[in-house]
Amino acid sequence: MNLATHQRKLLALFRSNDEVPPDEDAYIQRVARSKDLEEARGNILLWRVWVLERTAPLTFNLLKQRNLLQETVSAFIRGHNISPFRETQAPAFLEGLSGHQENLIASVAQFELALLMVKQGDCGFYVVRWHVDPLRILNSLARGSPVEDEAHEGAYEIHISQELPSGFRIVSLHDKGACA
Amino acid sequence: MAQTSTRNGTSKFVAIGATYEGRDPRLLERMLPLVDYIEVTPETIAEVHDNQITLSNEIITELKILGKETKIVAHGVGLSIGSHEGWSPTYFHLLDALLEQVDVAWHSEHLGYTKVDDQHLGIMLALPKTEEALDMVCERVIKIQERYKLPFLLENIVHVIPDYPGDFSEAQFLNALVNRTGCGLILDVYNLQCDAHNHGFDIPNFLDELQLTNVRELHVACGVEHNGFLLDVHSQLTRSSTVQLARDVVRRSEGSAEVVVYEFMPEAVPGLGRDAIAGELGRLRLTFRN
Repeated sequence: MNLATHQRKLLALFRSNDEVPPDEDAYIQRVARSKDLEEARGNILLWRVWVLERTAPLTFNLLKQRNLLQETVSAFIRGHNISPFRETQAPAFLEGLSGHQENLIASVAQFELALLMVKQGDCGFYVVRWHVDPLRILNSLARGSPVEDEAHEGAYEIHISQELPSGFRIVSLHDKGACA
Repeated sequence: MAQTSTRNGTSKFVAIGATYEGRDPRLLERMLPLVDYIEVTPETIAEVHDNQITLSNEIITELKILGKETKIVAHGVGLSIGSHEGWSPTYFHLLDALLEQVDVAWHSEHLGYTKVDDQHLGIMLALPKTEEALDMVCERVIKIQERYKLPFLLENIVHVIPDYPGDFSEAQFLNALVNRTGCGLILDVYNLQCDAHNHGFDIPNFLDELQLTNVRELHVACGVEHNGFLLDVHSQLTRSSTVQLARDVVRRSEGSAEVVVYEFMPEAVPGLGRDAIAGELGRLRLTFRN
C-alpha cells in the first residue's frame, strides 16, 4: 500500500463508521476494529470542545445547559472540513448554529459570531433579533450560570459594531430605547 | 544530577523552556525567572482578519519585548510535513511573518500529518515507517533547511492508532531522517510514555536504538487517562517518571540535549494555576540546571 492510499484509507476510517469490507487490507481492518480508533475519534471531539469552550463561550454554555453539546459538536465535526487553526473554528461553528431551530440558540450564536467578527476588525453593523430579553440571558451565559427557563418574552435587537461602546447595545423594540 | 557530560568530557547545563501563547502577563511574570527559552507556536498566536490568518500584532509586540529577556523557539503544529499531497502553505506564511519580526533560536515541527488531500483529520497521525515516507519527508526537510537558515528539528508524535508495519523501526526511521538531512530531533518523552501505555511500545529498546546525540530538545508534559488510554493533552503537571526518563535521555545525549521544555495548553492554566506552573518549572530547573 503506497503512502497516498494508506493516508486516504485512514482518513476514510476517521470520517465514517461504515463497516470495512472483508477484502480490505489487513492493517486497515486492524485499525478499524481497534479501540484506539474509537478513542481517537473521541479525542477529536474533546479537542474541539476545548477550543470552542474558550472561543465561543456563550453558545458553548447554552448548548451545555441544553445537553446538546456533544451532539452539536459531533455534527460540526462530521459536516465541516475543520481547519487546525483554532481561531477559524469558532466562526464556522457559530455560523452553522445561526440557523438553529431553537430561536435562543440561533440568537446567541448570531450575536457571538457578530461580536467575534467585530473584535477581529470587521467594520460591519450587525443586527440580531431576539424574542426574549437578552440581557439576563447573556449575563448568565457569560458567568456560566443557568439560564432561567422563563425568560422575559418580547421583541429586542442587539446591534453589534466597532462604533458602539463595548461593541454592542441591546435595544427594546417596545420602547425603541437602548437598554444596555 | 544537574549536568550532562559532553563527548569531550566537559559538563554542560541543560536549559529550561515553557510554552507561552501570549496575553497572559501574570503567567509570564511567574515563568520568566525560571526559564531560558519560551516556545511559541505560530498557529496559536494567529488571528483571523478579513478571512486571512495572520499573526496577532499584540502578541508579536509582546514577543519582541520578551525576546530581550529570553530566547524564543518556534514550534509549529500545522505544517503537516507528512501529508502525501504536500504540506500546508499557510504554516509558512505564519512562520515567515514570525521570523521577520522576532529573533528565534531554532524552529521545529512534528513528524506527522494532520490532513489528507486537504481534508483535515482533526488529529495528528504518525507516518508509516516506510522508504517512501522517509524519502518524502527528507526531501521536504531539505527544502525547509534551504528556505530558513536556522536549525530545524522534528518531534516524535504520539501514536493514536496501531503503528503500520513498515520498513523501519521508530528509532531507525528517526536515525535515517537525521543522517540524510542533518536536522535535529525533539524527543517528547511523555509521548513515548503514552505509546508505551497505549500500545506496549518498548521505550528502553527504542532509546538503545536511537542515536541520542541527535536529540537537541526534550519535551515533558502530562495528560489524563481516559478509557484506559493515556492522552497527549498537556493538561497536568509532569509525573516523576516522565522527568526521570528525560534525565536519562539528557545523560545519554552526551551534551547534545540543550533544553527541556514543559508543555501545557493555555486551556489548562486556570485549572493548574500559575503558582503550580511556576512550581513545576522550579522543580525542572532544580533537576536539570543545578
